Amino acid sequence: MTRPERSTSVLPGTATPVLEVDDLHVEFRTRSGVVSAVNGVSYSLSEGQTLAILGESGSGKSVSAQAIMGILDSPPAVITGGGIHFEGRDLLTMSPEEQRRVRGPGISMIFQDALSSLNPVYSVGFQIGEMFRAHRGMSKRDAKKQAIELMDRVRIPAAASRVDDYPHQFSGGMRQRVMIAMAIALDPRVLIADEPTTALDVTVQAQVMDLLKDLQRDTGMGLILITHDLGVVNEVADDVAVMYAGRIVERGTVDDVFGNPAHPYTDGLMSSVPQVEAKGGRLLPIVGQPPNLAAIPSGCPFHPRCSRRRLGDAAAPGRECATDVPPLRLVAPAREAACHYSEEVLGV
Amino acid sequence: MSEPTTGATAASRVPSAAPGEALLEIRGLKKHFPLTQGIVFKRTVGHVRAVDGVDLTMRRGETVGLVGESGCGKSTVSKLLVALERPTDGQILYKGRDVARMSGRALKAYRREVQIIFQDPYASLNPRMTVGDIVAEGWAVHADIAPKKGRLQRTQELLDRVGLNPDYVNRYPHQFSGGQRQRIGIARALALRPEVVVCDEPVSALDVSVQAQVVNLLEDVQDEFGLSYLFIAHDLSVVRHISDRVAVMYLGSIVEEGTDAQVYGSPSHPYTQALLSSVPLHEPHLRGQKDRILLQGDVPSPADPPSGCRFRTRCWKAQDICAQEAPALVDRGQGHPSACHFAEARTVVPVDVE
Repeated sequence: MTRPERSTSVLPGTATPVLEVDDLHVEFRTRSGVVSAVNGVSYSLSEGQTLAILGESGSGKSVSAQAIMGILDSPPAVITGGGIHFEGRDLLTMSPEEQRRVRGPGISMIFQDALSSLNPVYSVGFQIGEMFRAHRGMSKRDAKKQAIELMDRVRIPAAASRVDDYPHQFSGGMRQRVMIAMAIALDPRVLIADEPTTALDVTVQAQVMDLLKDLQRDTGMGLILITHDLGVVNEVADDVAVMYAGRIVERGTVDDVFGNPAHPYTDGLMSSVPQVEAKGGRLLPIVGQPPNLAAIPSGCPFHPRCSRRRLGDAAAPGRECATDVPPLRLVAPAREAACHYSEEVLGV
Repeated sequence: MSEPTTGATAASRVPSAAPGEALLEIRGLKKHFPLTQGIVFKRTVGHVRAVDGVDLTMRRGETVGLVGESGCGKSTVSKLLVALERPTDGQILYKGRDVARMSGRALKAYRREVQIIFQDPYASLNPRMTVGDIVAEGWAVHADIAPKKGRLQRTQELLDRVGLNPDYVNRYPHQFSGGQRQRIGIARALALRPEVVVCDEPVSALDVSVQAQVVNLLEDVQDEFGLSYLFIAHDLSVVRHISDRVAVMYLGSIVEEGTDAQVYGSPSHPYTQALLSSVPLHEPHLRGQKDRILLQGDVPSPADPPSGCRFRTRCWKAQDICAQEAPALVDRGQGHPSACHFAEARTVVPVDVE
């Protein structure tokens, strides 16, 4: 997980973005009520940039990615607002057929569980080759040749002899490589990796992250890395957006955000994880549970768990944590946070 | 049978060990699962050597961490310890007595004193039982631990102790979140007043903010109830945080053992070094200072492990001797035992001096 140089910031207006998500809202309409999974998420991704989306389960990090890919289960999921612009065109206003033609070669995604993402009754070579047959109209024989080349590229040993093997014949790390081969087959501009290494052992995780970074360097694709692992974010991402209750609560470069968090939630996450480089003292967990998305707390969604919340402070009109929703605002050069009191959290 | 018979408290059944002395000793522990072929007549065609010669000692009040990647046999060790599986060979000595030879009252006492907390809080709680029934279930077998009259109150005390609302005794597991369910699992283990708790990946399924709450709870109840833990996990950071001593497992056997500072600060087995070097660090200023060791290939099948040293097929130090002779887990001058012919301390994780 080495990385040579840092690219530019995630903040809007710095470089021409490949992908722009603009004020996205996603709801799940279930019989027992409406669950607001994504509540106004905006971010942009430029070429060669790695953006990590960090959050716990239920924070909306995967749902926002599924909305980009057009693979939300609808119903119950409904995109209720916002836009997703790929190379300047809004995907949400296109017809399904048009969306497919744009997304197919342009944006691809890999998932946490490679075994259930692969079809057990087709050989891996056939599944990788499908990309070329479906989108490039290649013959079976040419597609298989391409599949072998791709398997070589993702460093699957003895690719030519393994191309006809089935998914169950591969180890977890190798299966994830097969998924990556399928994802990069058509040279996408954007790759979304949803917890790509969570199911893998740590030594294999290191191999897979290395592979992703090398492929990114070769192709210049933008990488969205969805994860809950602070260590992975620190080692591979340029920028990070921290999500909580369907909102981005903080974003900036990894160095800035991890070096000195501006949101109490980020701060709480950092002090609740033990580190391998030192035994450390007692952990300082965030109290309480992540919120129920069917009943997100009023005001700042984090306020019931926040140690810095201010309730009924007459000296701070419009900054009442229990009622006023803090907007995502610029709190320091090139970094944003959604907290009324970020300056205090930063200690400036 | 020489153990004392019924006493007023169940704790008096097995003589207690003094602090600091070995409470649990594992010697040459092996568990081989047969591989069979055929539908009607099953023929044994080989064995999966899940655990293949593990030695480990746990002292009273101590937390021993057991780390390793999936398939290394760490969960099989936990099942052997709570007598859910019988060992193929080797011994588990509890307070000096061989668990495999226990029967009747002694085995019953052992099962009470050695409890387990499982990884998956969704699968390890019966969905059709209330929380109160789950916590109190053990008392149906070990009736002398809690007199019938005070059981509800005792259950509520336990729920309160693990941070759950005592009024929730009549709720069902599905009404709780993952972290809360793991607290129920902890209450269930504590209900029988155990001496040893085997924690098999107790926080792996939890979100980071909740994980820290459960780790802290485990530390608190350890002091309060005088527990000894065997803490099994694949997360090296959590294991370092909670453990006094750490053992690293690879393909069925322990490759290195020592205090947390010895194993993490100066690992001397190549596998431990590779494992530690793969852990991503959280501090931006430490990024890139790590000595990266990328392992090639996959873990060999435990049904057909390599001869000699198990790790030699992926090791950059391997020589002829490694294929011929399995290295013993002994101190070769590093101050702690390491199962490598060419053991040599090396710093792979930068020390945070901030």
